[in-house]
Amino acid sequence: MQISLFTVLILMVLTAVGFLVGRRRAYAVSSGHASRLHSLPSYYGYYIALWTGVPAFILLAIYGMFGNDAVNALAGAQMHRAGEPVHAQFEQALSDDEDIARLEAELATLENRRIYAREAIERDSELVPAAGEYPAQSPAERQQALSSEINRLAAEREARAEVLAGQVEAQTDDALARAGFVYSRLSDERRELMINDARAIAFGEGVASRETPEINALASAMRPFHEVLRSSMALAALALAIGGLAYARSRISSSFRARNRVEGAISVLLLLASVIAIATTIGIVLSLLFESVRFFSAINWRIDEFLLGTQWSPQIAIREGQVGQTGAFGAVPLFAGTALITVIAMLVAVPVGLFAAIYLSEYASTGVRGWAKPVLEILAGIPTVVYGFFALLTVGPLLRDALLLLGYENAVTQSALAAGLVMGVMIIPFVSSLADDVINAVPQSLRDGAYAMGATKSETVRQVIFPAALPGIVGAVLLAVSRAVGETMIVVMAAGQGANLTANPLESVTTITVQIVMLLTGDQEFDSPKTLSAFALGLVLFVLTLILNVIALRVVQRYREKYD
Amino acid sequence: MTDPQNTAAPAATVYHDQPSANPIKVETRSVSVRYGDTQALHDVSIRIPDRGVTAFIGPSGCGKSTFLRCINRMNDTIDSARVSGSVLIDGEEVNSRAVDPVVLRARVGMVFQKPNPFPKSIYDNVAYGPRIHGLATKREDLDAIVEASLRKAGLWAEVEGRLGMPGTALSGGQQQRLVIARAIAVNPEVILMDEPCSALDPIATARIEELIDELRENYCLIIVTHSMAQAARVSQMTAFFHLGHLVEYGPTEDMFTNPHDARTQDYITGRFG
Repeated sequence: MQISLFTVLILMVLTAVGFLVGRRRAYAVSSGHASRLHSLPSYYGYYIALWTGVPAFILLAIYGMFGNDAVNALAGAQMHRAGEPVHAQFEQALSDDEDIARLEAELATLENRRIYAREAIERDSELVPAAGEYPAQSPAERQQALSSEINRLAAEREARAEVLAGQVEAQTDDALARAGFVYSRLSDERRELMINDARAIAFGEGVASRETPEINALASAMRPFHEVLRSSMALAALALAIGGLAYARSRISSSFRARNRVEGAISVLLLLASVIAIATTIGIVLSLLFESVRFFSAINWRIDEFLLGTQWSPQIAIREGQVGQTGAFGAVPLFAGTALITVIAMLVAVPVGLFAAIYLSEYASTGVRGWAKPVLEILAGIPTVVYGFFALLTVGPLLRDALLLLGYENAVTQSALAAGLVMGVMIIPFVSSLADDVINAVPQSLRDGAYAMGATKSETVRQVIFPAALPGIVGAVLLAVSRAVGETMIVVMAAGQGANLTANPLESVTTITVQIVMLLTGDQEFDSPKTLSAFALGLVLFVLTLILNVIALRVVQRYREKYD
Repeated sequence: MTDPQNTAAPAATVYHDQPSANPIKVETRSVSVRYGDTQALHDVSIRIPDRGVTAFIGPSGCGKSTFLRCINRMNDTIDSARVSGSVLIDGEEVNSRAVDPVVLRARVGMVFQKPNPFPKSIYDNVAYGPRIHGLATKREDLDAIVEASLRKAGLWAEVEGRLGMPGTALSGGQQQRLVIARAIAVNPEVILMDEPCSALDPIATARIEELIDELRENYCLIIVTHSMAQAARVSQMTAFFHLGHLVEYGPTEDMFTNPHDARTQDYITGRFG
């Protein structure tokens, strides 16, 4: 455990004590006339409790966040120091070794030649062959050849150094020094692994993947640092708590405005909550933006090709040295697929949702409305993955069989139509619930006016209520569109993956969201244009839904102003 | 002198002598209205003359608006409302199954407390009724109806040449006159007005009252009002409602100078309500 439960408990008790002390102190300074105090006595209690608890818990939080890293760094430094004598021996062995010297000389020569080749590439000139050393090569080929040779020699040097290190290790008797030497020669990833194993052994954090004398040495180096840091932090937190309590208590007088201070603390708390929400949003948008910039620089800033190209096959570009790497990132088929499915979904959701809303708000009796509205809203509570396999296992095959019966030979299970239909069903409650609110907001006086003119119910709905509610309904539909555009699970399961540029709803298409899923699932390298393109797609999606939402909210807002 | 109606009404309504020369347009017999479990109106019997203004006065919640809504069956639109008794217009039963409320409402127009022009142009607002009832087959006929209605409502001079403007863009008083024009456009026989001036300023109110005075030459007007002064100014007959009962009914002048019931006297002298 990082922070002992005991410390936390004591702090909580102290905070509670602070509250009681504050209240009693308030009674005391008012000499029994609580009405003479500026604030109610409990506010003085809260004030002291805040001063007792907050600084101490902040200290503990900081320790919780950075305590482990501090212990690791301290223990690591100690290991380095212990390994220094052995490391000196190793350096000596390296400089004495003939093989190493030879390899390093060769490496230096090759590195010079590679630099020369690179400069030639940059100047866009031919290489001048030196003394028949190599046949006529283009600078690029030359650079490549040199690079692989350099890699080979470097590996050889590394292997030789490894052998020497083994020899030095074997000569060392001191276990701690040997462990320190091993520790200091590790790569960052391996060091991370070793630290994790050592922590597992030292503090029982998880299970160690292996146990070697070196890891044990690191673990025992960690323990004292950990103990000291932990107990000193606990003491410091207690001291802060008691200090805060004493300080706050000393400030209490009958004119002290404890209520306003507590109010201030509450507003800080609320501010923090909203800052977290806003900062997270900004963070997500920025990460999208930066990764998109990386992607666009990887395709040489051919943003036009990304937005207007009709060829989408990101997997081609993963192979190195491929000519025309950028040609495969034309996202138009994805945009078209998204649009196709969205249109189908809207064709289902808007009429059905709207009519359901009109029925519920204008025709249904209170009793029917009482149970029908919640039932409709249950539809909205079904997880989209359930809709997904409903589309894949029921609607898709049904459509295919029906089409085959009708003689359409190319019918497939995964089609834009199946995904769009089911997505439309999913969005019905969304549309109906929003439209219902909007229709209910149409003033009753308009209905009365129409009925009093002798209009029938449907005339009233068509000629008076619908036009009055239209701006709100448009807003609702736009919100539904942005929902459809961003919907993922149904299309992943039911729309297929092929990036076909087609307007035929019976073919399988793919959408922006499906491709993002495809690009980021499984093992991926996070620096290839293939993976990075997911972020650019995400950015497009974000901008699209943002625009839709802004328009929708503005439309709805304008409508509200009119009738309130 | 006792009115023969008195025998038909179990509630002790006081009826003044009714010297009105005009024939009876609307007559009700023992009309009661229940909203669910609460009875809003008890056995109201009344005879309302044609070509005149009859005012319904009384404190809030006394049932006068509910009664007004019985005359064009607007209570049908409220699920929980149950109406009993009979309402006769020109001697014809309104509550019978044979009467289509849609047709009835073309004969009995209604104007509400808050101006409620439809979210359409001025022209379309006035043309709404004639269109749904098929009163005009040609565009010129419709134009003529719209103009005549707006003239009768005293709005023509103010909106002439901008009939395409949305009705909601007019001022409150203009909107109320637009709504009256809309009601007139279907050429009704009876016009019901539910506190038509309560949302208006004194100047717009005066304008509407003038209009009501002009309209009474051609229509049977029934107006619900909170303002005793307004009732005295515009009406020839006044009915006083209290707690769902029709307490007293008679010529306005007589009602205000010589109220028979103590409750009426208290109300019009401002002792309660």
